[in-house]
Amino acid sequence: MITVEHLRKDFTYYRKMTGIKGSLHNLFHRESLTKEAVRDISFSVEKGEMIGFLGPNGAGKTTTLKLLSGILYPTDGRIDVDGFLPWERKNEFKRRISIVMGQKNQLWWDLPASDSFYLNKCIFGVDDGDYRDIVTELSELLDVKELLNVQVRRLSLGERMKMEILAALIHRPDILFLDEPTIGLDILSQKKIREFLKIYNEQWKTTVIITSHYMADIEALCDRAVIINRGQLVYDGKLGEINQLLGKRKLLSLKTSATVDPQAWNAFGLAREVSAAGAVLEIPQEKVKETLTAILAGLPVEDFTVTEIPLEESIARFYQKEVAMP
Amino acid sequence: MSSGRCVFLMGVEQALEYRVSFFLSMLSAVFPIIIQTTMWNYLYRHSDAAAVFGYRHGEILLYTLLATIVSQLVGTGFEGEMNSDIKMGGLNKYLIRPMDYKGYRFFRFLGQKVPRVMVTMPVMAVITGAAFWQGLPVSAGRVLAFLCSLVLALFLNFSIFYCVGLLAFWLTDVDKLFGTISIVLTVVSGGVFPLDIFGGLVEKLVNLLPFGYTTQFPVNIINGRFGWARMGTGFAFQIGWIFVFACLGEVMWRRGIRRYAAVGG
Amino acid sequence: MEVEKVKRIGRYFRLLGVFAKYSLMSALEYRINFITGMTVEVGWMLIKLLYVAIIYKAGTNIGILTPDHILLFVGTYMLMTGFYMLYFGNFASLPGMVQQGELDLYIVKPVSLQFLVTLRRLDFAYLLPELAAGVIMIVTGWRLAGLPAGILPVAGFVFYLVCGCLLTYSLFLLPYILSFWIVSVGGISDISNALWDFNNMPSLIYGKWFRRIGTYILPVFVITNFPGLFLMGELSPWACVWGVGAPALFFALTRAFWKASLKRYSSASS
Repeated sequence: MITVEHLRKDFTYYRKMTGIKGSLHNLFHRESLTKEAVRDISFSVEKGEMIGFLGPNGAGKTTTLKLLSGILYPTDGRIDVDGFLPWERKNEFKRRISIVMGQKNQLWWDLPASDSFYLNKCIFGVDDGDYRDIVTELSELLDVKELLNVQVRRLSLGERMKMEILAALIHRPDILFLDEPTIGLDILSQKKIREFLKIYNEQWKTTVIITSHYMADIEALCDRAVIINRGQLVYDGKLGEINQLLGKRKLLSLKTSATVDPQAWNAFGLAREVSAAGAVLEIPQEKVKETLTAILAGLPVEDFTVTEIPLEESIARFYQKEVAMP
Repeated sequence: MSSGRCVFLMGVEQALEYRVSFFLSMLSAVFPIIIQTTMWNYLYRHSDAAAVFGYRHGEILLYTLLATIVSQLVGTGFEGEMNSDIKMGGLNKYLIRPMDYKGYRFFRFLGQKVPRVMVTMPVMAVITGAAFWQGLPVSAGRVLAFLCSLVLALFLNFSIFYCVGLLAFWLTDVDKLFGTISIVLTVVSGGVFPLDIFGGLVEKLVNLLPFGYTTQFPVNIINGRFGWARMGTGFAFQIGWIFVFACLGEVMWRRGIRRYAAVGG
Repeated sequence: MEVEKVKRIGRYFRLLGVFAKYSLMSALEYRINFITGMTVEVGWMLIKLLYVAIIYKAGTNIGILTPDHILLFVGTYMLMTGFYMLYFGNFASLPGMVQQGELDLYIVKPVSLQFLVTLRRLDFAYLLPELAAGVIMIVTGWRLAGLPAGILPVAGFVFYLVCGCLLTYSLFLLPYILSFWIVSVGGISDISNALWDFNNMPSLIYGKWFRRIGTYILPVFVITNFPGLFLMGELSPWACVWGVGAPALFFALTRAFWKASLKRYSSASS
């Protein structure tokens, strides 16, 4: 469905000098600089797949999405989206995709969201019947049915985002790009949007690429993650495998009934946190049983849990390039 | 005084910031002058316009050339900033500064005027010189009187628009209203055409109201239309109106700030 | 193929209707702002009316034009200003949109981006006063000057008005498209808007060469002078053709420039 090969995107911008001297200088001469937003990215996405783009701020996630949706021209490399070259911006192509950006809105601020939907209906040439069905169905799924006739400016951030997503789906795109769709939203709205995207993806087999700061979004929705850092692809694979790549380590949280000498924990593994009431140890997966037995035998443990290392942390390690590409 | 100087320099810098724009904006101010000059030339050549309008051909031409420049020179534009200061609570930071808000506005206003003055002064000098060459009664005394009236006009226009800006304490949605006020005041100041060409009641009103003293009065000094006696009355009106608007501004500020504090900024 | 084309044009007109409806609905959410917007335009009209007042006070003809003819010409100028102001806000906000990357969500729509971006918001507060005053002045000037009022003259007048609208849109969009290339277009747009004001007086008042440049190179005079000149039967056959050719030419130019410029859009931030 989507194939990207050796994609590159450079931006040119101007250095601006400050102060009165700088202003005079800028009057006659400007210095241009180049920033490589995306350096050499290759990956492909199958039809109906839902993949997550991860990476810190300025890594090039959004730029990649914009290249995929045809908003930007690539500097170099090849993109094929559903048989189209996005930057040609053919109307046929535009009918098949849709993009939602958490930071940008397409709804008319002073009018009810339903008016913006109707405008999209006209723009995309959706049939009256189809249009009614889609709005009814999706507004129920998103739980915004009663808000359709409320001016957008009176909606909460979460409600507005739901409307943005709905507006982007009026024409039933085959491919949906979501850029930080849950940014700044309350937990409840985030959860609702996640649930919605899950159902939508399953029901309509829409291909979805989503970028998010919230790991929970990606964990809940995607099996596969593409990690980008400084414009380069650092990981592409199953989300679950990231932990394994990190050396299959587990976290062992222990709660004690009496105070234990903080030094005592170090004998069993890497102590991440130590307090009067317990500790968190990081240990290799294969040693969990053995270590636990030893601790239980020697220390007054009241309760314990074994957990995976949080995904955020694994990704953070990718960012720092602690782990090499497999 | 040094904080005044700093604000002043910031104004200069801001006005210089956009490179080509600056020069082109200056240039675009020339267009209306071309249109008006063309029209006057046509009318004076094809009819007894001097008798109809009360201006001699040379006087009206010099008026056209200088009125736009003077109008831009005394023109403000800080009303919108004042509105956002008042509406967005930006006023708070001025309330605790050692300089009062009016002082801040005034020095900033002057600072932004500097690039404009640097460009327009030589232009005005050339135009005036040419007018002298053409036989208009330009003299050193007249130029001095013109410069004095210009400085007073600057004060007067600042005082008027400071009051306009303060309206934001009481009115919502003032941005467009300020636009209207600005345009209408430019017209009634004689910034486009001298309004006393219409004679009768219009002329009397123009002489009584403050607005003509921001543009029409200085220009009519330099083009030689006003004699010394007329200038004297004019200066008295100018100073009188500055005083009136300064007081009005003070009263409005006091009332406004009380209201501002009550609403909580 | 032809049917396809007609259908497409029909869709664009329907969209324009939706834009008009939504713009009006949005504007009426802020009634005070709508009214003060009208007063701004009335303020500008005041300046244009001053010119007319001076002409009537002087009482002279300009070439073949009596003051009544001039009233009609200035009325046409006001009407055209109203139509220009109707969508001018979109032009003015284009530089900001380009710099802040706000074209993103419009680019992905399967309709002409230029159409969406330049005609999406329509400002009726600016149109209404100019429309009202313009129509009154045209009708008054028409009658006082004793110009023909048959179907053909009226149709021709309206036809050249429509051509003028298209020319206005094309000619005055050009400087704003420059915002894809340079940081600040304030100066250039100031100049082009100042150029517009040359129509405040009939082109006959200007010198021969000035008139030629304004008619054939930067055809601002075509916009407001041709409808009136046609009505007076003073439009030469060649000028009749140019009155249609100039809008077509400049529209094509605008399209080409827009398309070339869009490649430079960098969407800002990330």
